[in-house]
Amino acid sequence: MKTSGRALAAKVSSIKDSGAFAIRSRNLPTWCPGCGYFGIHQGLNNAIQRLGLPHHETVIVSGIGCAGRYPFFADTYGLHAVHGRALPVATGVKLANPGLTVFAVGGDGDGLGIGGGHLPHIARRDIDVNYLLFDNSIYGLTKGQPSPSSPTGFKTKASPTGTTDAPLDATLMALSYGASFVARLFAGDPEGIAAALMEGIHHKGFSFFHLYTTCVTFDKNFKTWDHLKEWIHPLPEGYDPTNLKQAMNQALEDHFSMGILYKRKKE
Amino acid sequence: MAKVDLTIEICGMSGDGTIAAGALLNNALSRAGFSLMAFDSYPAEIRGFGRCVTRCRVGDEEMLALTSETHVLISLDDEQSFSRIPFLAKNAIVFFDNRPSSYIEEGKSIAARVEPDVILLGIPFKDLAAEATGTTRGRNITALGALAGVFDLPVEPFHKVIRNKFEPKGENVLLVNMKSFDAGLRYAREELDYSPGIPFPVPEKGDEETERVLLSGNVAIARGALDAGLGLYFGYPITPATPIMEYLAKALPENGGRLFQMEDEISSIGAVLGSFYGGRRAMTATSGPGLALMTELIGLGVMAEIPAVIIDAQRGGPSTGLPTKTEQSDLQAAVFGGPGDSARIVIAPTNVIECYQYTVKSFQIAEKYQTPVIVLTDFFLDNRVENVVMRHATAEQIADGNIYPDPALKGKYHRFEVSESGISPRSIPGMEGFLFATTGLEHSEKGIPDYTPNNHMEMSGKRHRKISGALADLPAPEEFAWDEALDVGVIAWGSTFGSALEAVRKAQSKGMRAGALKITSIFPYHVDAIRGFMERCTDILIPELNYEGQLANLIGHLFRKDVVRLNRVTGEPFPVSIILEKIEFLVKS
Amino acid sequence: MSWQHYIVIGNGPAGNQAAFTLREKAPEARITIISGNVGGSFRPHLLPDFIAGKIPEESLFVVTPDRYKEKEITFRHGQRVVKLDPNEKTVILDHKEVISFDGLIIAVGGKPRIPEHLHSFEGLMLTLKTVEDAHVWISRLAGVDSILLIGGDLTSLAVTKALLHLQKKVYLMLTEHAFWPLRPDEALFAEVSDRLACRGVEVLGGEIRKIVPSPPGDSFTVQFNHRPDLQVGLVGAFYGLSPEIDFLRRSGFRMDRGILVDEYLNTGFEGVYATGDCAQIYHPGLRNYWVSIGHANAVTLGKVAANNLLGGKSQVTVPTESVFELEEINVNTSWWMEF
Repeated sequence: MKTSGRALAAKVSSIKDSGAFAIRSRNLPTWCPGCGYFGIHQGLNNAIQRLGLPHHETVIVSGIGCAGRYPFFADTYGLHAVHGRALPVATGVKLANPGLTVFAVGGDGDGLGIGGGHLPHIARRDIDVNYLLFDNSIYGLTKGQPSPSSPTGFKTKASPTGTTDAPLDATLMALSYGASFVARLFAGDPEGIAAALMEGIHHKGFSFFHLYTTCVTFDKNFKTWDHLKEWIHPLPEGYDPTNLKQAMNQALEDHFSMGILYKRKKE
Repeated sequence: MAKVDLTIEICGMSGDGTIAAGALLNNALSRAGFSLMAFDSYPAEIRGFGRCVTRCRVGDEEMLALTSETHVLISLDDEQSFSRIPFLAKNAIVFFDNRPSSYIEEGKSIAARVEPDVILLGIPFKDLAAEATGTTRGRNITALGALAGVFDLPVEPFHKVIRNKFEPKGENVLLVNMKSFDAGLRYAREELDYSPGIPFPVPEKGDEETERVLLSGNVAIARGALDAGLGLYFGYPITPATPIMEYLAKALPENGGRLFQMEDEISSIGAVLGSFYGGRRAMTATSGPGLALMTELIGLGVMAEIPAVIIDAQRGGPSTGLPTKTEQSDLQAAVFGGPGDSARIVIAPTNVIECYQYTVKSFQIAEKYQTPVIVLTDFFLDNRVENVVMRHATAEQIADGNIYPDPALKGKYHRFEVSESGISPRSIPGMEGFLFATTGLEHSEKGIPDYTPNNHMEMSGKRHRKISGALADLPAPEEFAWDEALDVGVIAWGSTFGSALEAVRKAQSKGMRAGALKITSIFPYHVDAIRGFMERCTDILIPELNYEGQLANLIGHLFRKDVVRLNRVTGEPFPVSIILEKIEFLVKS
Repeated sequence: MSWQHYIVIGNGPAGNQAAFTLREKAPEARITIISGNVGGSFRPHLLPDFIAGKIPEESLFVVTPDRYKEKEITFRHGQRVVKLDPNEKTVILDHKEVISFDGLIIAVGGKPRIPEHLHSFEGLMLTLKTVEDAHVWISRLAGVDSILLIGGDLTSLAVTKALLHLQKKVYLMLTEHAFWPLRPDEALFAEVSDRLACRGVEVLGGEIRKIVPSPPGDSFTVQFNHRPDLQVGLVGAFYGLSPEIDFLRRSGFRMDRGILVDEYLNTGFEGVYATGDCAQIYHPGLRNYWVSIGHANAVTLGKVAANNLLGGKSQVTVPTESVFELEEINVNTSWWMEF
């Protein structure tokens, strides 16, 4: 415990020094120390700075959950909507003013449970929105219930004998819904996130970012930092992201290969 | 008093061209200068197979409601027309085909079923059409020709509408229809030995400048939205709002906008809110079941102070209810639906021109008061057709309603700054130095989540103050009464108002001291104006097409005693006679 | 009994009475009365009084449509029977509706007769049979001072009375059809002519050659064979009635001017009867056919036909008397062998 605390403090201070929090608003995040969301925040911030996107032309729309609080921590326009509905609201914002860069942000419960019905349609409409799905396979804000992406046998207060349902795979779903840009990323790799985000923001169409992250407070067994660091690895050498079939196979066979799995060639 | 006031019905089986004939008739009569209100019934079955009835009330004075009785019935299919017999007025005229293609069993002809006072005019529609054109397809038009001949209606408007409708379909089609019409006309003039006792004089041409258009409520709504500069439409098919989406699917892109059929009503309202947030006017139209789904996001709009325009075309309820029947039972859901103190702006037009006007108005109001505005219409109002004097929206009425922040506040802007009016100027994404985040959580002036006691009191007060302040921009109640002291005051809303006003006028002509109050701003409502009217009345009567008396529940408390409720949920428009009976009953007691 | 359907064709005095009698005697049967004319059953003999303005229109009607409803008699008016099959027991209406019956009473009455030589002037002359006809008389009389009535049947005498009451100038042309349905007899002829002349009616004889409408429109020039032309405002034809039975020509009935029936009013087809003015009734005593005239007779015959249809065996052998009154002259109408 002590060790990780000191390491974390060092990490925070180095991030501060790098100016990576330029996008930070004056509000302190309500996320727990050690939460994976900080890494994502850093990655998004870097992407925006490097692309030179004006803050007043950036909008972050969110659902409900820990990820849902995101708009308050970012120095952009924000709209904290209701549970599961970030995608349609983001659709409206982007269509109203295509000059804006629009992000939709939410967790796995928000996006795969209640909001699951909206993902197919924004993907097939190919609306130019960048959707960040913060997947920690748990409902953190409500204090630790299983989510649609929790593994079978996942034990929580709400599932003391372990869950019996099979988990949903957001990457596979996005690919099969026809999303034209799908990336799978790790919260512990802000640079990787930044790079993928830059490409995705630039991509004129629906960009989906499946972000593997942790819930340090309520999940001590499954998606811990240690496990994730152990499991994740980059996509194979020479991987061709324009091949949908290959991308889907990749998603089926390997749940932990990180990078841009698919990017549709625009004619 | 009106010189002519007739209800003409055409009844047939799907495939007989009933609806098409009805539409041509409405157009021709409108062109000829008559006032009319028309309302068709379609088969409810999926493949559209079944009885079709078109009803048109036509006359020289503005039509407020339908009649319960039919004066002229054109039967294109006798068996289907049997169901219309109970509605025939005394001495009604029935046109029927007296040369069916084969012998018919006793009782299968309409001649077997009508009361003896009914005047039967047998005209061989099929044979006449076939003789004139070689096909019986135009027999519905032949029937129109016979109608025109019998009542000595001007022929030129009919010819004009036939030409307009069929010329684009080719010379042959035009000829068939024109000749079919003329065959019926000639027969009625030369061979039929009958002249009606019912007067049908063509009205004098009024003010040439007034443009009269035949519009349905749905089209009026769509046109209102277009004229108000609608940029985006997000919708989901639902009876009876679907025609609005279908009209806009064609017209909106032509006007520089875009239309999206979303996956459900939730995403529809979500996108509308997103659009207004992003600075562009958007709209969705739905009915009860869809409104229910939108509840949560409407609440978000109220709390996060984001504008939206929602058309709720009410139908029979609750739940899936009666999709093709009219009702006014969404008032409570529209005003209050949803958790918390989330009352929002609700307005309700009473006729077709108001459908246009209020839709136009709703955008400005939504923007100014930064909240969802629900426009309540009903199946009857949406689908009925009136020929209205078109009053196009003025530049003032469609101007941007948003109140933007003072540029001096750049860098120091608080989105939810408390003000006397309750309105906090709002910035739009793209405005530099005016960033904010809005949320459905209770929040401080800065928009950050804040659950402290004083804040919630203050913010609740601000939002409610803001909405009450909208009264200044919402249509005030309108009185229709001659006397200072009234025995009965009738207060009505939506399409029921037309029936109520006609009943009150009839009561007035019988010497009763009755008056009517039209309420179109359902929430907030004009307490002083309503109370002022009520004080003059011995009794207040509130007729509504809902079971629970939803308007009565809302404003009844303003009256010194219980209001008299008159509730009806038959799925049909409110009959004038029922309201008149009640007025008479109250006057007597 | 209860499933029987009885049809009466015609709602004049005979048909009307037949229908009501059927209803009385067969309370559960279905009864339909079909008439080509529009309107309830009226008393034809009161039409002249109506024209004179002596009685209101309501008084003409014996039965209004409501009364049929009360008695559960289906009243189909303004609908004409165009075909009848007494074997199949069906009637067909002009709009091709086929109606089956178990029993039928034909009481179509007669329509005003226009003799051959005057057929081409039919459109120029008025007749008087229905309430509509009476309305036409009333509206035309308003603009006219002189009227010529030709033929001289009993109705024309009643109309003469009416016109005198309205202070019009009347010309009455008596022919061999005069006093139809009575046979003109010299003494009667003379007496009636005198009485009429006293009242200012000009009684003419002779033959009409031509009727010409004179411009400017509302009058006619009548040209005769043996006397000078006459200028009048209106011409009325009163040559008696002939039965309206053309629609039955091919149905297999025995017909002469009217439908030939036996003493029980049966046509020879089971369940099919004819009565009233349209029937020629066999008199076993005389071995010849009689015709009934007059309102009271028609009513009686209607009753008899209904009774017999339901299985009764009333005969109409006893001629009934009725009285016709004209200017204090009482004339007995009775059975006559011819038209």
